[in-house]
Amino acid sequence: MAVAAPSVGKRGGFQLSAKGQENVAGFLFILPALIIIVIFIFLPLLSAFLISFTNWNGLQPPAEAQNVGLRNYERIFGLDGTTVVRDEFFVAIKNTFYYTLGVVPTQTALALILAFIVNQQFLRFRGFFRVAFYFPSITSSIVIATIFLWLFNRNGVINGVIGGVASALGLNYTPVTWLNDANGIIHNFLRLFGLTARTAPAWMTETNILGQSIWQWISGPSVTMLAIMLLAIWTTTGTMMLIFLAALQDIPRQLYEAASVDGATRLQQFFLITVPMLRPATFFVLTIGLIGCFQVFDQIYVISQGNPAGTTKTIAWIVFRNLRDSQAGLGAALAFVLFVIIAIFTIFQRRLVGKTVQQ
Amino acid sequence: MKKSLRFLALATALALIAVALAPSAQAAQTVNLVLMGWSSSPSENERLQKIVDDWNAANPDIQVTLNQVPDYDTTLQKALASGEPPDVFYVDSFRFLDLVRADALMPIGDRLTDIDDFYPALRNAFTANGQFYCPPKDFSTLALQINTEMFEAAGLSAPTTWEEMRAAAEKLTKDGVFGVVVPADFARWIAFLYGAGGSVTDDEFTKMTINSPEAEAALKFYTDLYLDGFAKTPADLGVGWPGEAFGKGLVAMAFEGNWVEPYLKDQFPDLKYKAVELPAGPAGKATMAFTVCYGVPKKAKNPDAAIKFVDYLTGAEGMKAWTDLGLAMPTRASLRKGWLEKFPNLEPYLNGAEYARKWQFVPGFQAVLDKVNEQLSLVMSGNQTVKGALAEIERVGNEVLASR
Repeated sequence: MAVAAPSVGKRGGFQLSAKGQENVAGFLFILPALIIIVIFIFLPLLSAFLISFTNWNGLQPPAEAQNVGLRNYERIFGLDGTTVVRDEFFVAIKNTFYYTLGVVPTQTALALILAFIVNQQFLRFRGFFRVAFYFPSITSSIVIATIFLWLFNRNGVINGVIGGVASALGLNYTPVTWLNDANGIIHNFLRLFGLTARTAPAWMTETNILGQSIWQWISGPSVTMLAIMLLAIWTTTGTMMLIFLAALQDIPRQLYEAASVDGATRLQQFFLITVPMLRPATFFVLTIGLIGCFQVFDQIYVISQGNPAGTTKTIAWIVFRNLRDSQAGLGAALAFVLFVIIAIFTIFQRRLVGKTVQQ
Repeated sequence: MKKSLRFLALATALALIAVALAPSAQAAQTVNLVLMGWSSSPSENERLQKIVDDWNAANPDIQVTLNQVPDYDTTLQKALASGEPPDVFYVDSFRFLDLVRADALMPIGDRLTDIDDFYPALRNAFTANGQFYCPPKDFSTLALQINTEMFEAAGLSAPTTWEEMRAAAEKLTKDGVFGVVVPADFARWIAFLYGAGGSVTDDEFTKMTINSPEAEAALKFYTDLYLDGFAKTPADLGVGWPGEAFGKGLVAMAFEGNWVEPYLKDQFPDLKYKAVELPAGPAGKATMAFTVCYGVPKKAKNPDAAIKFVDYLTGAEGMKAWTDLGLAMPTRASLRKGWLEKFPNLEPYLNGAEYARKWQFVPGFQAVLDKVNEQLSLVMSGNQTVKGALAEIERVGNEVLASR
């Protein structure tokens, strides 16, 4: 193999210590990947970081943009006294937060249960189920989102099925306009108890925190967002299931055998052996789920474009919108804020779940 | 033998030189241009390709390649930012001021033939800082589409005022059909805003003027149609856009642009309908013009050739060839008569050119448009008052304008 570093050794050739040789070999092996990562990830990241301090409009060559210092970041957090960018940012934070809160736990729990089921020896057609559950994950998200547009259409399959079941039970069902309903689901729930924007106490509707009243903050995801959440859960659960499945098969059988000898029930085995043994996998699933949720974009782009009434605006969506609308500098700054948010949550989660992973 | 060989060698050498020289002499004069645009309907794409082919045949020294790209805005953005823009490209009037501010466009108005022939409203849409930048290639306006079958059955004539429109909507809302389809979309409501005599900002874009009694009347008229049950949104009707709702006979009226015409003919050939001008508001007739021009970049490599080509496309001959398809409307007043003889049913759209307003705002205004759409849907869902919505739009708009 080639050892490149030039130096004159004893015999007129070049000699490295065994350790040095290993180092060089190691670097040579990772070099192709390193070059690709530097060119396609680190350099764009760096340029985006630099752009976030400019007023680049995305139309000129970036070098012609003017430096505006921290102005973009000040606008995002409203430090310069303006509220438009800040308010939109915090609406996006709220929407993304509710989205994540709904999607991550649901898909994780569902994936765990599905993985557990398809891992059972007694299950017939295991291969079929594994493929079927994984299938949504390998299909293009744009294609799936387009199909969901039809499913959730007011005259679509979802309303058809609910309507059919309702009429079979003798109930009356007014079709929900899934894709254009800005009402928050928590608001809808509170309405059952007679609490609406008009009857809510004044401290809720009149306290303005970062551009929204407390009443608006507690809206929950809008009905349209809920439809997008269902779509996301349906798509990603398969991937998560696959990760859990791999981890499940790593759990030694002896543990279960020993447990059953000790008289543990299957339920006890699940919660006392399976779940703890899956901790590393769970941490991984939660982390990639969280990151995926914070970056949700394709589905929004296809289904709602941030509508209705801004209830499906997510952080990634407003990043894109600013890039498109000649405010690339602001968009880049928003992207970095998103990056920091994701980093914080991942570290926090690592503290919470990850401690025992090290064992 | 030797002689003949020498002769052959000489002849071959001469022939080679001739062959080598001929194309190079020509190549030195040939300018290659790229025309970049977005892809529209297949028939439009074909027609444009044919116009370009005809041009290439007639102008061996300027050869044009038509490049119709998907995801146009992003592609153009990349091309401009990399400093290698296409020689000629589409510019939507909505994006025009962004490009002017980025200093990406070359003002070529002075070098075109008979620019006074373009409708003033359309020329105005591509004029900034007193300079006419690029010639409008075609345009669309909003009109009212009415289902003639439903109107005749109810004994109604086409509405010409807001009152008549509302009365017709009320009368035609029955048996699962609604009077009119109203999207929560600023690009539609704004025609009513102008019809009521309102405005969005002052002429210099220094402050919002939308919080006015006129705007209030327009917003109230628009949203009341919905709140009183005579209108539905496309989503309520389970369709993708107003044209589909109208084509399927779910509503008796829609207000869309002339792009709805080929769609209706194609998808709903049996539909009985006609287009009329948008009903006049308290301040008279109003509609919106959506238009696109052929831009030449500031950094053009061959500006002269590009301008010559654009002048042909938007000149009387090129524009006639382009608009003869009946999908796009000619932007030259001199072509009006000939065009209407061919497409008399599209007259209401073309008439709009006389009083249409441009769909154009200042860079950074997208946040305000989003706010208007948001407030529109909040008013329509009963979660916001008309006055509250206008105050909120005004607040956000003024801040955006102040921070420009």
